[in-house]
Amino acid sequence: MKQVGQHAAAAAKYIISVLTAGYIALLLLFVGVSGQPFEEVSGAVSAAVDTEHLSGQDSMALKRDFGLNSAEFSGVLYYASAVSAEEVLLIQVADDSQISQVTDALEEHVEKRLEEFSGYMPEQAALLENAGQSVRGDYIFFVVSQDADQYMKVFADSL
Amino acid sequence: MLFSSITFLFYFLPVVLVLYYLIPAKGKNIVLLIASLVFYAWGEPVYVVLMILSICLNYFCGREIQAREDDPRRAKRSIIFAVVINILILGFFKYYGFVLNTVSDLFSVNIPYRELPLPVGISFYTFQAMSYVIDIYRKKITAQKNILLFALYICMFPKLIAGPIVRYEDIEQQLAARKLSVSRIGQGSRYFILGLAKKAVLANTAGAVFEQISAGPAAGMSVLTAWIGCISYAFQIYFDFSGYSDMAVGLGKMFGFEFRRNFDYPYTATSITDFWRRWHISLSTWFRDYVYIPLGGNQCSPARNVLNLMIVWTLIGMWHGAAWNFIVWGVYYGIILVMEKYVWGVFLDELPRIVTRIYTGILVLVGWVFFFSPSLGYSVRYLLAMIGAGAGFADAEGGFLLLTHWLLYLLAALCSGTAGIRLFRALTGIPSNRKVRSAVEAAAYIVIFFISTAFLVTDTFHPFLYFRF
Repeated sequence: MKQVGQHAAAAAKYIISVLTAGYIALLLLFVGVSGQPFEEVSGAVSAAVDTEHLSGQDSMALKRDFGLNSAEFSGVLYYASAVSAEEVLLIQVADDSQISQVTDALEEHVEKRLEEFSGYMPEQAALLENAGQSVRGDYIFFVVSQDADQYMKVFADSL
Repeated sequence: MLFSSITFLFYFLPVVLVLYYLIPAKGKNIVLLIASLVFYAWGEPVYVVLMILSICLNYFCGREIQAREDDPRRAKRSIIFAVVINILILGFFKYYGFVLNTVSDLFSVNIPYRELPLPVGISFYTFQAMSYVIDIYRKKITAQKNILLFALYICMFPKLIAGPIVRYEDIEQQLAARKLSVSRIGQGSRYFILGLAKKAVLANTAGAVFEQISAGPAAGMSVLTAWIGCISYAFQIYFDFSGYSDMAVGLGKMFGFEFRRNFDYPYTATSITDFWRRWHISLSTWFRDYVYIPLGGNQCSPARNVLNLMIVWTLIGMWHGAAWNFIVWGVYYGIILVMEKYVWGVFLDELPRIVTRIYTGILVLVGWVFFFSPSLGYSVRYLLAMIGAGAGFADAEGGFLLLTHWLLYLLAALCSGTAGIRLFRALTGIPSNRKVRSAVEAAAYIVIFFISTAFLVTDTFHPFLYFRF
């Protein structure tokens, strides 16, 4: 009986070890980032932004719209529209512990904007509901756009 | 999720406490386990899977080692496997980027690699798991057959993210049966509130001063500013970490668990040896029991003992972070401990306590410079500024910070020793009537809680420093 238990435990530990290795491999593929500097990632995102409808925003706009202080992060790129819900935000955090602060702020921002747009601009509200968000390493990317999927791909490819 | 967040204080903790006390005894462990997984997944939705895999791995490793207790050779193979796998997992997440960067720098190449964020708490729960399997191998404990109880031991949320590192033997009986009472909730609440105040009021405020000073170049600091910065950091890291540990102990009590204290007023130490008996006690005892003693400890020649100490302290430095300044910090303490043991320790015993406290304080502050510096070069520049090689003796910034934060430093100094708590007890103990005294004490704790919450609400985001380990 003891031997059966021993063999079962041994088999289980090897299986879990393999599963753990596989899980780490998946993390590297889908969560890991290549350590690209902010200039490279933001350059790639900026090149894809539709500057006819979106304009670059400053730290005051970031504070106003998201409650975030750009000085606390390693890099911030923010484009927004004056007439629609469309926006693109890229943040490189200085510390991993800032990630939850940013994602919480994004959630609150979307809720607030939905309240503003629901009712009188339902197509903009729909964009907000389909907002794209991605956390990769120390980068957080957020986009509200009908081309959100393309922006997300540009971001993923830039890493 | 942080203990010092509004979400935890006003939503998560009250809900979990109510559910825990409403559910019959048989279901309490499940409630706590689910709450702990939710707590971890809140901040680490991806890495909660990794923690669950680690729990399962160590559970089966423990069962296997137990089953091989009559076969020392095979048991040894099993324990080696368990320890190596745990170290590989921890080492991968903490050090592979550091190793590749170091190799790249040494050979002037650029080895590309993909970075992963460090899973919060991995150092703590992996060390706990290793202590568990090693203690089974040493026949100090028997393997837990119930995987849910084992999972609860590893991931119990009060101590999951930043310790203390709890030994299985300390908690085994409590997992099966523990005392719950209103007075324990009261005791736990007192610990928790004082820990919260340490974090929200003292640590975060001192941290803000340090952040302001360290934002500027070290070479441009006056002696006064550099020392204020270093002392601010010393207070920040102590109240941050000991505050968190107090909250963990308090939360444990609320759920019926007794954890050992992790700090014993380390800034009152009279030697570096004494300091490390008082600072992060669960970590230093872990390294003593699982690294230092197996290497031979001090039951060997002096030369071998020195080597053992240096190995342990290099590893302690590395545990704190994958950067050369942490390794230098660990080696720095290793050298001082060797010196105290073999060279000047006997002289310290003869000196007045005030002198030995000043000696210890200065060495600890120098150590913190290595700890907080982003690079070795910065630490050297900072230390030079502290001895006058920066921008003069005093400047407007240092004077301003001292004048505007003198109350903080006074409070911090009082609370670094037993004076703070003795003063608190003396003040709340003034009424002669016992019931009035209890009411005054309760009111004092409530006021401290609300002041701490006010600080949290108005403050910017300040995570716990030890989360990154």
